[in-house]
Amino acid sequence: MKPHRSPLGLALLGLTAALSLPPGTWAADRADLARPEPAPLPFPLVARFENFGEKDGLPSHKIHCVLKASDGRLWLGTGNGLCVRGADGRFRRYGPEDGLSHPAVLSIAEDPRTGDLWIATMRGLSRLSGGRFTSFTQTDSGLPNNVVYGVAVVDGTVWAATPAGAGAYNIREKSWKIYDHNNAPMEEPWCYAIAPGRDVVYIGVWAGGIVEHDPRLGSFKAYRDPDGDFQFQLTPDSGPIADITSWVAYDDGILWQATYFGLSRYDTQEATWRTWVQDKTPLVSNFINSVFARGHVAWVSTDRGACVTDGTTWATYAVDEQGRGLVRIDRPGGAPETRRMATRLADGFVTAIWADDHEAWFATSNGLSHAVFANQAAVAANP
Amino acid sequence: MTPRRIALRAAQVVIAAAAVALAGGFTARTHQRIMTGRPNLAVTTCTHCHLRSAFKLPWQKPRPHHDSPGGIAVSPDGRTLYIALDDKDEVAEADSATLAVIRMARVPGGPFGLALDAQGKRLFVACPQQDRVAVLDTRDLAEVASIGVGVRPTDVVYCQTRDGERLVVPNSGSDDISILTLSPLAELARVAAGREPYAAAVLDGGRRVAVANRMATHDQMLTAPASEVTVLDPASSRVLDRLALDSAHLAEGIAAVPGKGWVLNSMVRVRNLVPITQVKDGWVMASGLAISRADGQVTQVPLDEANAYFPDPSGIVASPDGRRAFVASGGSDVVTVVDLDRLGSWLAGSSAADRDDAILDMALSCRYVVARIPTGCDPRHLALSPDGRRLYVAERLDDSVLVVDTASLKPLGRIVLGDGGRDDPIRQGERVFTRARYTFQGGFSCRSCHPDGHVDGLSYDFDGSGVGDNLLANRSLCGVAGTEPFKWNGKNPTLQFQDGPRFARVLMRTDPIPDPQLDELATFLVNLPPTRTMPWSQVGKGLTPAQQSGRALFFATKRTDGTPIPRALRCQTCHRPPLYTNRLISSVGTQSPRDPKEGFDTPHLIGVGAVGPYLHDGRAKTLEEIWTVYQHDDLHGVSSYWSKEQLNDLVEFLKTL
Repeated sequence: MKPHRSPLGLALLGLTAALSLPPGTWAADRADLARPEPAPLPFPLVARFENFGEKDGLPSHKIHCVLKASDGRLWLGTGNGLCVRGADGRFRRYGPEDGLSHPAVLSIAEDPRTGDLWIATMRGLSRLSGGRFTSFTQTDSGLPNNVVYGVAVVDGTVWAATPAGAGAYNIREKSWKIYDHNNAPMEEPWCYAIAPGRDVVYIGVWAGGIVEHDPRLGSFKAYRDPDGDFQFQLTPDSGPIADITSWVAYDDGILWQATYFGLSRYDTQEATWRTWVQDKTPLVSNFINSVFARGHVAWVSTDRGACVTDGTTWATYAVDEQGRGLVRIDRPGGAPETRRMATRLADGFVTAIWADDHEAWFATSNGLSHAVFANQAAVAANP
Repeated sequence: MTPRRIALRAAQVVIAAAAVALAGGFTARTHQRIMTGRPNLAVTTCTHCHLRSAFKLPWQKPRPHHDSPGGIAVSPDGRTLYIALDDKDEVAEADSATLAVIRMARVPGGPFGLALDAQGKRLFVACPQQDRVAVLDTRDLAEVASIGVGVRPTDVVYCQTRDGERLVVPNSGSDDISILTLSPLAELARVAAGREPYAAAVLDGGRRVAVANRMATHDQMLTAPASEVTVLDPASSRVLDRLALDSAHLAEGIAAVPGKGWVLNSMVRVRNLVPITQVKDGWVMASGLAISRADGQVTQVPLDEANAYFPDPSGIVASPDGRRAFVASGGSDVVTVVDLDRLGSWLAGSSAADRDDAILDMALSCRYVVARIPTGCDPRHLALSPDGRRLYVAERLDDSVLVVDTASLKPLGRIVLGDGGRDDPIRQGERVFTRARYTFQGGFSCRSCHPDGHVDGLSYDFDGSGVGDNLLANRSLCGVAGTEPFKWNGKNPTLQFQDGPRFARVLMRTDPIPDPQLDELATFLVNLPPTRTMPWSQVGKGLTPAQQSGRALFFATKRTDGTPIPRALRCQTCHRPPLYTNRLISSVGTQSPRDPKEGFDTPHLIGVGAVGPYLHDGRAKTLEEIWTVYQHDDLHGVSSYWSKEQLNDLVEFLKTL
């Protein structure tokens, strides 16, 4: 199961950024809504959002990460504890009093072999197994640092992305390894994310781009911004868009890099890069909190809404200045189609997304959104 | 030669000898003070650092091996018994009608836990000394397959699940549970357990498996420990529940009760935070039974009676009709018979408060304990025939299996496996070790705190005044040979002294162990080998790069920047190989307000990876915490220059010792 979250730091940093689209960014009108529907999209389109907040039982309005586990239960990492949504739709919170190492949960990953959850928090790493938490901190274990931004379980090893390097905990041997600037190609040890690849692990590194690690060989390979400039994209489609990596995600041979300066896509089989920045591409914002990969599709969480793309076609969900939900569809060679939605994201500041073929869950800085998919005709029928 | 000349010559010799002795003594003391970095070191012997060879220690030498019965498996037709003989690396096959041993099979790795498949065609053998499960064909007892699992697997259970056959194997040394598929024989998953998972039981026809964790865990000092019962789905490898047996340890037996939905655990209710002076009031340990019901409620009830104790409850089985349970009490050489219907009636009629306090009520056991069956020495594993008519009791230190008629509760005979090793002083010492007769009212044995000679992971309040919390961490007896003096204050020069009259006064609260038995006990203890902490697959192989780095740090004489480390503050100075102790009192800045002195015996580090918590009072729950939380002014070795990676490497090295 892939991990996904948005670093709390990013969330706090961007909280003051635009919570809705700038005036006049998009305009939806009746003519748009009445337009005949073109060819199907290569990914599901959201028909409506169902939103949840503190009034619905969430322990905090800040949702940092979301994961639907293999048993179907929905897990949320919030600013005030770990939260699970039961079959009855009610939310139950777990906090330090239950054994969680810290209430601020930044990332969640599931061990596919055992179903155990590994929970990254602002003070340590917790394992939830059989209803019981076990915690690992930098003082009582080999965890590099207590602030754990990202966590992933890869082939029996738990990876923890921390400001002091990436920690790798071998579950069977109960031993830790630390990868940082001393033994891996990183400018500095600050790591934000881990993504399991095919036989390799991708580490999203602050100022270090992406580090690919092959655990079998013990080898490393760094993917760095070829122009070395994070403000300007001088050499598009030639490498990571920036070295400031805020998140990485991988599925089906495609690696996605989220940064504060745009989005990158790396086809690991073709060894080709694509990059996107706002204004020049459909990407709604350069400030990307996280990215979730499913097949060849990326679900991108930004400070101005969420994008879904396979690299050519885009669907962007945002909130306009009146607080109304919008969706904009960008097809290759076509003009953007902007439609008003009957419902909207809980907030435009999206921190993380989880999706499958049937539904999607959006973690935002002001609540949780459940996306209900529908065919495009149904979406067009919405007023 | 005249008498005067003789006297003169004698005087010369004496003076010369005295001069040599003085010079030698001065040189030796100077050497000792330099090498220990302690300018005020009192007179000590050379053997603290020299003349010690791990290869000459008693546990390194050959010793007699015995037919100690471990796990027992009964064939589906009840005609054949399989008995694990871990000390002999053998599995015995016996005829239940004649009680004769028919065949023996050699199974390397200390076969201990046994299970049969549903047809009785395959025998699965947990081999804790080689971290593997062997598969034997019951037609010829030939080993047909083997698979590596976690460290020290002590049991194995077989079950049919919705997704096929499964074996569930508690790995007591690595605190995890292997879940194996049989077609092919492969490890599906290894899930985290509590501490020292020891035995397993199949529930609900294979839908769930419950695993008893023998040792308790506790996260903080001065908090009550708890043993865990790990409940998992063997088909999906998901842990479903982790039941807590509060204040319990030595929970090494587990059984499912047909028809009632209960899980039974044998357990010891330990009150390690109560001053040890309360032993005489029966306030330190009580033997009991934990009943975990389907709704997750856990109730602990006593097996003891007022002024009559049945310590070290171990193996447990429930009859097929769910009406009776049998519990082996290794410390008192009895099997306790529990009427589960009566117990159920009491549970149904009791209040929540009654159930919470039940384990404290020694008068309660008379309601459901219906018999005590005398056995041979150290009954441990139990098995029932499929029809429930026969109970088989492994009399571990008598090398026999007692056969009991469950209707009359009378013995039917014994399967004799060996001679009991009456001539072996080590075996005799083990009998002393496991028997509770040497403690107040037979309330506990040495084994109650040192299961298999190891450690129970608890800190006990040894405040002599009986009023304070002066905790002292339990220390393993495995590999104890050559590490004298004993006790955290280092006051006991020999094991006989340690376990002698003073010990009887402080802890056992009864007459001391007689000298002959005391000597036998000491013989047993010095022959206990260290606990293996490395996986069997890594034994004999070189250190990993991380372990090598940790070793270099352990033996470092300079910091990374080249600054010399004072000799007194080097790891190797106090924890000197081969036993990693110089057997001196050391002060490492850990004296608490209630500790009368700042110095403590320097513990040896053999098997240190398995003996936590650490430091004299158990304040450090992990090795890391010794330096990350409880290090002060580099008094416990100079660690201030270490990086986190270096600390991790050091821990990895320590875990190899």
